[in-house]
Amino acid sequence: MTIKRLSQLKIFSVFLATALCAGATYAADPGVTDTEIVIGLHAPLSGPLAAFGQDPLQAAKMWYEDINKKGGIHGRKIRVIAEDDKCNANEVGALARKFVTVDKVFMINGGSCTASVVGAQEFVNREKVPFVMLNASGDPAVFPATRYVFGAFPGSQGAIGAGIMGFAIEGLKGKRIAYIAHNDEYGASNYGAAKALADKAGAQIVAYERIALSITDVTAPMLNVRASNPDVIISAAYPAPAVLIAQKAAEYGMKQPLVQAIQGIPAPEVFAKNVGNNDALKNFYYSAPVNDLPDGPKQIKWLEMYKKAYPDRLVPSVFMVYGISSAMVVTTALEKVGKNLTRERFVDAMETVKLDSGIMAAPFEFGKGRRDALRAQSIFKFDGVKSTLMPGFYTWDGSTISPK
Amino acid sequence: MSSMALYQSIASGIVSGCVYALVALSVVLIFKASDVVNFAGGEFVMLGAFAGLGALTFLEVPYFLAYAIAAVALFFLGAIFNKVVLEGVLKRAKHGQRTLVAMVIATLGLSYVIKGGVRLFSFTEEVRRLPSAFSGPPIFIGPVVMQWQDIAIVSISLALMLALYIFFQKTLTGKVLRATSQNPRAAALVGIPVQLMQLYSWGLACAIAGVSGVLIGAKLPVSPDFGGPIMLLAFAAAIIGGFTSLPGVVIGGILLGIIQNLVGITISSTAIAVTPFVVIMLVLVFRPQGLLGGRHRIKKV
Repeated sequence: MTIKRLSQLKIFSVFLATALCAGATYAADPGVTDTEIVIGLHAPLSGPLAAFGQDPLQAAKMWYEDINKKGGIHGRKIRVIAEDDKCNANEVGALARKFVTVDKVFMINGGSCTASVVGAQEFVNREKVPFVMLNASGDPAVFPATRYVFGAFPGSQGAIGAGIMGFAIEGLKGKRIAYIAHNDEYGASNYGAAKALADKAGAQIVAYERIALSITDVTAPMLNVRASNPDVIISAAYPAPAVLIAQKAAEYGMKQPLVQAIQGIPAPEVFAKNVGNNDALKNFYYSAPVNDLPDGPKQIKWLEMYKKAYPDRLVPSVFMVYGISSAMVVTTALEKVGKNLTRERFVDAMETVKLDSGIMAAPFEFGKGRRDALRAQSIFKFDGVKSTLMPGFYTWDGSTISPK
Repeated sequence: MSSMALYQSIASGIVSGCVYALVALSVVLIFKASDVVNFAGGEFVMLGAFAGLGALTFLEVPYFLAYAIAAVALFFLGAIFNKVVLEGVLKRAKHGQRTLVAMVIATLGLSYVIKGGVRLFSFTEEVRRLPSAFSGPPIFIGPVVMQWQDIAIVSISLALMLALYIFFQKTLTGKVLRATSQNPRAAALVGIPVQLMQLYSWGLACAIAGVSGVLIGAKLPVSPDFGGPIMLLAFAAAIIGGFTSLPGVVIGGILLGIIQNLVGITISSTAIAVTPFVVIMLVLVFRPQGLLGGRHRIKKV
C-alpha cells in the first residue's frame, strides 16, 4: 500500500466517522434538531365543542412563544404545528398519524375532550411518540397508565369526584350525601372515586341518581333526593341539567348545601343568570381545578398575559389556563432532559415531573405508574354574584376508581 | 313512594308533556300539510329560543315583542325553505319519481345548517336560558309546587292547540289546508293553490316552533344542541297521540311526561331516558296509529 493510498484511507475514515457521528445526532428522533423541537398541537377549533379548545390551544402556543423569546430550551426553539381536531376521536387518530408520519413531530401536545384523546392512544404507544394532553380530563386515556400518554391537567373525573366529596364531608361536615351524576363513563368515574372516599370517611351515600345528559325534567331524581333527606347534595351534572337541579332544589325548598362539579358551571355568572334566582344559590358551592378566581391575585398575571397575546379574546374561557399548565409541564420535562433529547428520555423526564404551576389547585405529579397530573380540586362558594375561594384544596389519593 | 311525590310527579309531568306537545304540534302540522316528517323541528324551536333571547338581550324589547319577532322570523324561514328547497326538489323530480325521501333528507340537512349557523355566534357557546316572563314565588296546590312559568306553558300550549283546532275545523283557510293535506291533486282540481297552502303550513308550523322556543327557553337551558333531544321526545309524543291528530299530540305529550316521572320515582332515574322508546315500541305494536290517530292506514314511502 502506498503512502498516498494510506492518506486517502485516513481521510475517508475521518469522513466516515464524522458522517456517522452526525448521523447519530440527527437520527436520534424525528422533530429534534440542534436548533428546533417540533410539537404537534391540536384542540377543537370548530364544531360544537370548539369552546373547549380554542383558548387552551392559543394559551399553549403563547407559552411556547414566550419560552422561545427567552431563548428556547437548551438552545432549541419550539416550533408548533397547530391543527383542529373537532373533539372527534377519528380526527385525533388521523391527526396523530399526520403529525408523526408527515410533519415528523417530536411529540404531540393536544386534546380537549376525553372521548377524542383515546383515538390517538393506541397509535402513539405503538409508535412510541410522547402524547401530552392539553386540557382533556381523559380518564380512559390515563387509567390504566400507558407509557407514552400523559394528561388530566384539570384533574380526572376521579379527582373531581373525590374533591367534591372531600369538601362535602370535611368542609360541610356531611354524613348523609345525595349524589347526582350522568349515566355515562364520566359519571361512573366521578362517582366511583367519591364513593370510595365516602366509604373511607364513614359517610353514607343516601341517594345516587344517574341521569341522562339530555334530561329535560329533573323532577323524579330531585324527588328521590328529597326523600333521602341528605345533609349535602352533590351534582356532577353538565351545564344544562346542573341549572335544572339548582332550580328544582330551591323550588322544593331544599336548604341543604348544593355542591356542583366544575363541568356544570363553566361560567358562574352565566349559570346564575340561567338559574334566574339568586335565592336558589344561598348555599351553593362549586369545584374548580385552579388556585384562584380568573381575576384573583394568583391568576391575574396569566389573564393579562393572554389578553396581551390575543387582544381579540379579552374574556377567555375558564379552560384557557389549563393550556398554559399543560405546555408548562412539557417545557419543564424538556428542560430536565437536557441537550441530548430523545423521546424515551423525555418520557422518563415526564415521569419525574413534580411541578407547582402556580395556576392549578395543587402541584402536578406523574410517576412510573401514574399518568394523571392533578389530584386535587379547589372549592368556591358562589352566591349568584360573587365567588369566594374556600380555604385549602381537596385531594384524591388515587385509590379505587374507575370502571376501567 | 309518598302520595306527595306521586302528585308532584304528575303535575311536573303535565308541564314537561306540554313542552313536548308544543314541539310536536309544529312537526304534526307540517306532516299533515305535506306528508314530510320535519327532522329540523327541534332546531326551529332552538332557533326561536335564540331569536327570543337575542331580542330580549340585545334589542331589549318587551317580552310580547320577543314572541312576535321569533314567530315572524321563523315563519319566513319556514316559508323560504319550503319555497326554495322543497319546491325545488319537486320541480327537479322526473315524472312519477317519489320525492318524499329527498324532502325528508332535506329537513335533516336543514337541521345541521341551523345548528352550524347558530354556532357561528360566540354568544351560543354557553348554555343560556331566557329570563322568565312569568316570575314570582312558586304556587302551592296542596303538596304540589308549581312555578308561574309552568302554569304559562300549560295554558299557552292548551290555548295554542285549541286555536289550531278551531282554525282547522272552522275557518275556510284551515279547511283549505286540510283539503290540501288530504288530497293535493283533488285540491288542485278545485282551484286550491296547493303550493301556496303548503308554504303557509310550513310558515305557520315554524312560527309555532318559534313561539314554543321562546316559551320553553324560559324553562329549559338552551344550547345549539338543544333541539335534538327535545325533538325525540316530541316524536314520541306525536307517535303516542297519533301523528295526524293535533289533540292527540297534546295528550301524547302529557302522557309521556307523566310516565317518565313515574318511572323515575318508582324504578330509577336512569330509566327515564329509555322510557319514550319503550312507549313508542308499545304503541307501534298495539296501536300503530296512536291514541287519536283514527283508522290505521299504510302508506308506502
